[in-house]
Amino acid sequence: MLRSRIIPGLLVSNKGLVKTVRFSSPKYVGDPINAVKIFNEKEVDELIVLDIDATVRGHEPDYSMIRNLAAECRMPLCYGGGVKTLAQARDIIGMGVEKIALSSSAIESPNLISDIAQVLGTQSVVVVMDVRRERNGYQIYTHNGTRPARMNPIDFAVEVQALGAGEVVINSIDNDGVMKGYDLELARSVRQAMTLPLTILGGAGSLKDIGSLISTFGIVGAAAGSLFVFKGIYRAVLINYPNRAEKEALNIQALQVSFAP
Amino acid sequence: MKQLQICTNCVMDTTDAKIRFDERGVCDHCNNYYQNILPNWHTDERGTQALQKIVDDIKAAGRGKDFDCIIGMSGGIDSSYLTYIAKEQFGLRPLVFHVDAGWNSQIAVNNIEKLIDALGLDLYTEVIDWEEMRDLQLAFFKAGVPHVDTPQDHAFFATMYNFAERHKIKYILTGANLSTECIRNPIEWMYYQSDSIQLKDIHNKFGTRPIVNFPITSILRHKLFLKYVKGVKVVTPLNYIPYVKVEAMQLLIDNFGWQPYPQKHFESRFTKFYESYWLPKKFGFDTRKVQYSSLILTNQMTREEALERLSRPAYDEATVAQDFEYVATKLGISVGELQGYMDGENKTFRDYESQENIYLVGARLVRLFGLELGGKR
Amino acid sequence: MISIVNYGCGNITAIANIYKRLDVPVSIASRPEDLRDAEKIILPGVGAFDHVVTCLDKCGMRDPLNELVLTRKKPILGICVGMQILARRSDEGVLEGLGWIDGQVKKIDISNFTRQPALPHMGWNDVAPVKRDSLFAHLEVDPRFYFLHSYYFDCANADDVLAVTDYGSSFPSAVHCNNIFGVQFHPEKSHQCGIQLLKNFSEL
Repeated sequence: MLRSRIIPGLLVSNKGLVKTVRFSSPKYVGDPINAVKIFNEKEVDELIVLDIDATVRGHEPDYSMIRNLAAECRMPLCYGGGVKTLAQARDIIGMGVEKIALSSSAIESPNLISDIAQVLGTQSVVVVMDVRRERNGYQIYTHNGTRPARMNPIDFAVEVQALGAGEVVINSIDNDGVMKGYDLELARSVRQAMTLPLTILGGAGSLKDIGSLISTFGIVGAAAGSLFVFKGIYRAVLINYPNRAEKEALNIQALQVSFAP
Repeated sequence: MKQLQICTNCVMDTTDAKIRFDERGVCDHCNNYYQNILPNWHTDERGTQALQKIVDDIKAAGRGKDFDCIIGMSGGIDSSYLTYIAKEQFGLRPLVFHVDAGWNSQIAVNNIEKLIDALGLDLYTEVIDWEEMRDLQLAFFKAGVPHVDTPQDHAFFATMYNFAERHKIKYILTGANLSTECIRNPIEWMYYQSDSIQLKDIHNKFGTRPIVNFPITSILRHKLFLKYVKGVKVVTPLNYIPYVKVEAMQLLIDNFGWQPYPQKHFESRFTKFYESYWLPKKFGFDTRKVQYSSLILTNQMTREEALERLSRPAYDEATVAQDFEYVATKLGISVGELQGYMDGENKTFRDYESQENIYLVGARLVRLFGLELGGKR
Repeated sequence: MISIVNYGCGNITAIANIYKRLDVPVSIASRPEDLRDAEKIILPGVGAFDHVVTCLDKCGMRDPLNELVLTRKKPILGICVGMQILARRSDEGVLEGLGWIDGQVKKIDISNFTRQPALPHMGWNDVAPVKRDSLFAHLEVDPRFYFLHSYYFDCANADDVLAVTDYGSSFPSAVHCNNIFGVQFHPEKSHQCGIQLLKNFSEL
């Protein structure tokens, strides 16, 4: 039985891991390498690492960090942050990274999606959309939620599928770090628009939220940041992740909803 | 090559340069234990009564507050068992306090999670600024001294004391215990981690970035100022009750799914590397001798078993190269550079500025007034 | 010495990292002459079938591989599209694969799927060996591996099927014919199961 992927999402800023709330107030959470090593030892399904400084500060991805992180991963690793060219994507994939996440560059130069897909395969291109709910509907933002892309996630999802992307990650700015559940309405509207694998990030506060996501969609990527990094009412930093039995229980729920196979 | 003389009672030997043997070949660590520690160490009703009095004080002081004490929790056996008895046996309401210095093993993190979930306790984590920690650890490697784990230890205590002071918490509980630590590491092996003069001098000489966020404390600050002026007390409950390591471990395994470590202090990847490889390989100091000797004195291990274990290397030959590489990678240096520090000259704490005198005076006063039981010299 | 064929289509580094940590000598073969001393070969592969075949031919690897595998009978492990090109033909493209194992690469049948995403088959799925084989030795009960593909290898001979996985219907997730092995999943990204499988291959 294929299982839904449960994916820790890590943000890197100033060489350190941070956690934000609604894309602001970054709280320092520690060293990325040890965190990734612990997640690897916990045998997580997959890992997303996003450098939130690279685009806004206009610098290259931190290749040395990427290389070190990839060396610790025995599961697929998706890296995003500051990737603007095919050459960069190729270099990063060559370091042992499975997938490249494009966010602002997908908006600014959508052809990059097809360029990378053609050379490295569609499975290697993930488009991440940071989305905010506005009066006139959901809108994509780039540059850490500061720049409106003047594009909505539904239309853009259709567009990136046509361009050759392999996966879409929807990151809810409004639910980021709030830990009160995913934005299922947003997820539903993107799910209905395209047939690519979909991953939802932003808002997961408990394994129950992940369960609800999986029961709603059957097969989906359930990504979470705060949930896997914080513990308890004081938001104490403690890396955690469901064990195999807990993951199995979450996935069995999906079977109970009509979904074939 | 000078022949090693091993104590006939425990397994401490002449790799401890200051060791002294009596006419029966018994070392001064053992004699200190039998003469000074054991007669004053009570884990029977006297111990329980004394601890109960302290517990009552803690509860009284904590009335109306969210928690009545903090427990320094590393995920290791001592602090884990302490957390269990504090809550289940004595009904305290601790805040579990963890310091993340960037080297947590998965087992440690898992053990902390299991315990706090099962016991229904709250957790607070202080994350040390990794870039500063890294620079400080590297400085200690460059200094060539044995006590390269000082930054982690120092941060642990400094952070806990700072937190207690800031939040006006009067009681810190730690898992320090005579049962497994009645013999302490000689200071030639592990110099006082709380000596801020030494830390600052090594940082001045070998650090490359200023200390801004890294927490600094000092022996005077926490043994005198915080204790007598601010009334922050450190309690070691495991010294008042019978504490048998294998039984404690089995209880935690059976009741909480707790995962054991291959050796004491292995909850930190760095400490594991440091104690099992760096210290023995570079300096010939094997901390297992200290730990096993403590267990021998408290009848938890036989001398034969200790000698048998010591005949094998402290590190796992299959994984040591990977650990070496991981440490180098984390510190931001090449394997070659780390090997260079391994091969470099061996220095001691005396090569750098220190407050050793204060510790000597303090130790004498403490022994004079019988204020503390302990074996560190 | 395990040689990993580097022809621009696969996660060489991840595989090499695993062997490095297992202390198994490994080399990267980027040119035909690098394969000369190969004892065992790993053939990774990601991307479209034709693209992967083109890259392989561009690097001049086809002939040395034929010689090593068919004549000198060196063990080879194809991973993902590296397994698919063991076939002669794929529905995904027009070019010819290596043709070492009889069969046709076909698109996964999603006609009875009611929800999206149907393709690619992406994520962790169960792999059930259909016979005893040293490639799958010492694995935990119910091994699971990471998959990422839309096509599968339809074997002409049932004997060549080593393991099956369910997605839509049952398809071969591993094949084995003489000295030739193929796995549809990514052992280099499948935690302990994957590490054990790669270790088993090195110990054949």
